[in-house]
Amino acid sequence: MSPPVMAAVRARVPIKGGYFTVPDDPAATPEIVVSRCEDCGEYFFPTRLVCAKCLSRRLVTVQVPAQGTLYSYTWVHLPLFGSTRIEHMEGYGVGQVDLPEGPRLQVPLAGKQTEYRIGMPLVGQLEPLRDEGGVEVVILQFRPAA
Amino acid sequence: MEGVAILGVGMIRFGMYPERTVHQMGCEAGLAALDDAGVSFRDIDAVYAGHIFMPPMTATRVVKELGLTGVPVQRIENASATGTCALREAYLAVAGGHYDRVLVLGFDKMTQVMGAAPDPKDMDEAILPAAFFAMWATRRMHERGTKPEHLAAIAAKNWNFGALNPMSQRQPKTRVTPEQVLASGMVAWPLTKMMACPIGDGAAAAVVCRADLAKRYRPERPVIRIAASHLGSERYERGHLFMGPVVGPAQMSRDAARDLYEQAGFGPEDIQLVQVHDAFVIEELEYYELLGFCREGEAEAHIEAGTFGPGGKVPFSTDGGLIARGHPGGPTGLAQIWETTLQLRGEAGPRQVPNARAGLCHMMGGGSVCAAHILVRE
Repeated sequence: MSPPVMAAVRARVPIKGGYFTVPDDPAATPEIVVSRCEDCGEYFFPTRLVCAKCLSRRLVTVQVPAQGTLYSYTWVHLPLFGSTRIEHMEGYGVGQVDLPEGPRLQVPLAGKQTEYRIGMPLVGQLEPLRDEGGVEVVILQFRPAA
Repeated sequence: MEGVAILGVGMIRFGMYPERTVHQMGCEAGLAALDDAGVSFRDIDAVYAGHIFMPPMTATRVVKELGLTGVPVQRIENASATGTCALREAYLAVAGGHYDRVLVLGFDKMTQVMGAAPDPKDMDEAILPAAFFAMWATRRMHERGTKPEHLAAIAAKNWNFGALNPMSQRQPKTRVTPEQVLASGMVAWPLTKMMACPIGDGAAAAVVCRADLAKRYRPERPVIRIAASHLGSERYERGHLFMGPVVGPAQMSRDAARDLYEQAGFGPEDIQLVQVHDAFVIEELEYYELLGFCREGEAEAHIEAGTFGPGGKVPFSTDGGLIARGHPGGPTGLAQIWETTLQLRGEAGPRQVPNARAGLCHMMGGGSVCAAHILVRE
C-alpha cells in the first residue's frame, strides 16, 4: 500500500502575531499589518490607536504588500537573539525598508551583503526559524526583488 | 549669585567588577562627590538616584549606604540618559527653590545582567543596537561619502583620550591608531569592535546646590554653574522607526542644541569642550553637525583637520567618551558632568582643554530621549 499523500505544506505560525500575515500558499508574498489614519492618511507600523501625525483616533488596521525600498542596511557579526537558522559565518543582514505607503521597518535581510545597495527594491518572504511541535515558526525577512 | 551650581563631583573608574556590589560602588562615588563638595550627607536635602538594570528598591537601598537621615530619595530611569536626567531633576528642584543641596547618584552593574537573554519571541529584540547604529553609518556613507577611516579616526581619538583619564575603563598602554581600530574585527559593518563602547560596571555622583551657596562652601574655587538644561523626546516625521533599538531622530539633538543655546545666551562658538553619547562612533560624527559645531556635510573634513581632537578647536569626548571611559548605564551621564566640571575648574590634568569656560554634555536615551546640559565657569 502506498503511503497516504501528505499535505505539501506544514502549518506555519508567525514568531509574533499582529505584524505580518502568513499566507496559506507558501509561494504567496506575505503582507504587513499596518494602521492607516482615516483623517490624514498616514500609515504606521506597527498598528497603533492614535495617529502619530495628527493625533486622530480614527485609525483602521489594513494589510499592505511586503515590498519597499532599502533605506539603509548592515551585516551583523554577532549572534541574533533566539536565532538558530539565519546565523552563519558571514553574519546576517539587517535593513531599514521604506514601504511605499510610508512606514519604515527594521527587518532581517536574506542572502549575502554583496546583493544589497541602498535604494534598491526589496520584497518580503517568510523564513522558517524553528519547529515547535510540528508547527513551523516563521520570521519575516526581505530580499532583493527579482 | 543666581542659579544652580555643581558643588562637587565623584566617580569610580568604570570597569568589570564582578566582586563589587552596586551598594559599594554607589556609596564610594557618593562619598567622593560629598568630599569634593565639602559637605556632609546630613547637609543633603534630597537624593535623585539613577540606574537602569537593577531591581526595584535598589536606589533607596544604595542611598542608605551613605546614611539614614530621612532624606527624600527618588529613583530616575531614562535609559542611557538616566544619570543626565537625575541631574536635571536636581537642577529643577534647586532652581525651583524646593531644595538647596541635592545629591545626584548614578550606578549600574551590567556584568550582573548580561546573559539575561531577551525573549526571542519579541520582534523588538531581533535587531541589536550595534546594527541600528551601523545603519546610520551606512546611510551616512551613501549620502556624504564618509569612509570607515573617518569613523576609525574618531574611535582612535577617544581611546587615546581614555589613556589620559584615570577613571576611564579603557586605558590603552600604547597609542591607538585608526588602522588598529579598522582591524579590530567587524561587529556590524562598517562598525568594528573598537568603534563600540564596552559593557561595564560603575558609579558616579554630583552635588548640586544654589550657586550662592557654592561660593560659600568652596570660596577658593570658581563656581561651576548649570547654564542650561534640556530634556526632549521624539517628534514624528515620515520614516520614523517605532520598533527595534532606536535613538533619534536627528531632530532631537538639533532641538536640544537650539534650546540649550537659547537658555545659555550663547552658542557653540563660546563652548570649548563637548561630551556626547558616542556609544557607537558614528553618533559622535553626527553630533558634530547636529549640535552646531560644524555645518551639515562637513564633519568628515573636520575629522581630517582634527577640529574635535586634542589641541583642536573644540575637543569632543575628552575623558574617552562612552567608547573608552565606558558606558555602564545609570552613571554614564554623570561621568560627563564629572569630566566637564574638572575641565572647567582647570583640574583635568594631562587632558586639560586650555581656557575651558563652557562645556556641553549631551546624552541620548533609548526610547528615545535627548538630555543635555551646558556648564559654565563663573
